[in-house]
Amino acid sequence: MDYVLHLLTIVGIYVILAVSLNLLAGYTGLLSVAHAALFGVGAYTAALLSLHFHMPLLLNLILAVTACAVVGVVVGLPSLRVHEDFFVVATLGLQVLTVTIFNNWTAITGGPAGLPGIPQPTVFGLTITSHVQFLVLTGVFAVLAITVVKRLVGSPLGRVLKAVREDEVFAQSLGKNVARYKLQMFVIGGALTALAGVLYAHYLTFIDPTSFTVQESIFMLAIVIVGGSGSIAGSVVGAAVLVSLPEALRFLGLPSAVAANVRQILYGALLVICMMFRPQGILGEFAFRKR
Amino acid sequence: MPPGLLYVLVYSAEYALVAAGFSLVYRTGRVFHFAHGAVLTCGAYSLFALHVLAGVPLLPAVPLALGLTSLVGAMVESIVYAPMRRKGAQSLTLLVASLGTYVVLQNIISLLFGDDTKQIAHGAAQGVNLLGTWLTVIHITVLAAAALLLAGLAVLMRATRTGKAMRAVANDADLARVSGVDPERAALWASLIAAALAGAAGMLLAVDVDVTPTMGMKPLMMGLVAGIVGGLGSVPGAALGALVLGLAQYACVWLLGSQWQDAGAFVILLVFLAVRPYGILGAPLRRATV
Repeated sequence: MDYVLHLLTIVGIYVILAVSLNLLAGYTGLLSVAHAALFGVGAYTAALLSLHFHMPLLLNLILAVTACAVVGVVVGLPSLRVHEDFFVVATLGLQVLTVTIFNNWTAITGGPAGLPGIPQPTVFGLTITSHVQFLVLTGVFAVLAITVVKRLVGSPLGRVLKAVREDEVFAQSLGKNVARYKLQMFVIGGALTALAGVLYAHYLTFIDPTSFTVQESIFMLAIVIVGGSGSIAGSVVGAAVLVSLPEALRFLGLPSAVAANVRQILYGALLVICMMFRPQGILGEFAFRKR
Repeated sequence: MPPGLLYVLVYSAEYALVAAGFSLVYRTGRVFHFAHGAVLTCGAYSLFALHVLAGVPLLPAVPLALGLTSLVGAMVESIVYAPMRRKGAQSLTLLVASLGTYVVLQNIISLLFGDDTKQIAHGAAQGVNLLGTWLTVIHITVLAAAALLLAGLAVLMRATRTGKAMRAVANDADLARVSGVDPERAALWASLIAAALAGAAGMLLAVDVDVTPTMGMKPLMMGLVAGIVGGLGSVPGAALGALVLGLAQYACVWLLGSQWQDAGAFVILLVFLAVRPYGILGAPLRRATV
């Protein structure tokens, strides 16, 4: 039973990640491969704050959200200057840069050894310890993230975002401040990623740089794209399928080293097949078919 | 001369090989070829399989492994990229497919050979002391092989029909088509040659350092940075970018310590993307849209 609860909690965390990445990649057309870095900034902020200052969850959350929003803007800055492939490279650069810092700034981040012993969070005096409590907390955060993104893309602002995605110059010609909208989305996307980061750090009570690598970013992108870019339901389905599908491999009795590879082959192949035959994903509307 | 400065040349040579292949596929095949890194790893592992596992002597093993690697590159092109291009896939779609291909190839290698570190060369290599730097036979081989391959590529691009076709397609695929050049064929050639270059880089790295399934990521990134710094699209651009990157990393090691050299490379990348995204030797792309 605990196993199912654990799986659901992880799915919930990935729903938050996918929905926030979808806001950037799916709705605004900004294909970022630095999402795992943002996730990491959130997780490390929460971990450090609770390890050194024993801060309550809410305060952790506010500071992590702020940190991620700031880093989000940094990730977004190149989008004002370069587009498409080159924007992807710029975010790739920031992704690797961030992991290098996680790995090498040993005094703060603990380096490759990571940060063990992150305390369990306290919300209004209640310490979250059991799987059920964590799942509820994750559920609340996931619903919060989904609601924020849903409200955003359903509003007139959402239509502007889609216009930016489909044709930036056109949006600009209608008097829309494209640069401002892009950076706003990175602030919001970054802030939402922090929710996932904080949950992850407290839930696992241990973080190290391997959870926030480029591969992880590609995995998040796979969830968004396979689920469907520009579709919130797609991101939820994508997270559920791509996170739990590899768990099925466990029941096939594959040794864990092999299962890890098969899992990666599976999502890599899904990504390729999706791009070849259904670029808009299972439930999506946008196919990265600019110009 | 400061110690170790000649190593800059050795690393730059490897980056330049990767950058030249990458930019060939990027310009002629119009794919942001992330899978290039995995093709490089295939090069290293095919040499490992032939030479160490099957016991084939080095001299026939190297060309055989190069052939195998080119085959992998051509397969990626003809199974993944070409059908997508025919359907009118745009650059970002191809890029994502290439990311997926990278993940698949890397993990197939992991499955076949395991995740542990393999070695091809054993023991300390002989060396010479040149201008205050200790260069091994391997380093000299890397330098000579890279120089030969890059010079060969430059000649091929300028003097042969295939090279001219690849440049024509890079310049304007539609114009090339109406002039009787087949862009698909040119893209296939580009992927074959790029894979051979990546394979060579992978083998040189394998002999110099060691062999792991994830070994392709770092040279891919450095090749990418070198290509963008120098200007994607020409052999001299790749070489110049690699040299600038190598020197910058050397300065980084000198000033901050070796753990920050990758960070330094990406800071340079971001500076170039902000100031001069088309690189030192490149010209700004003019996109004509009606």
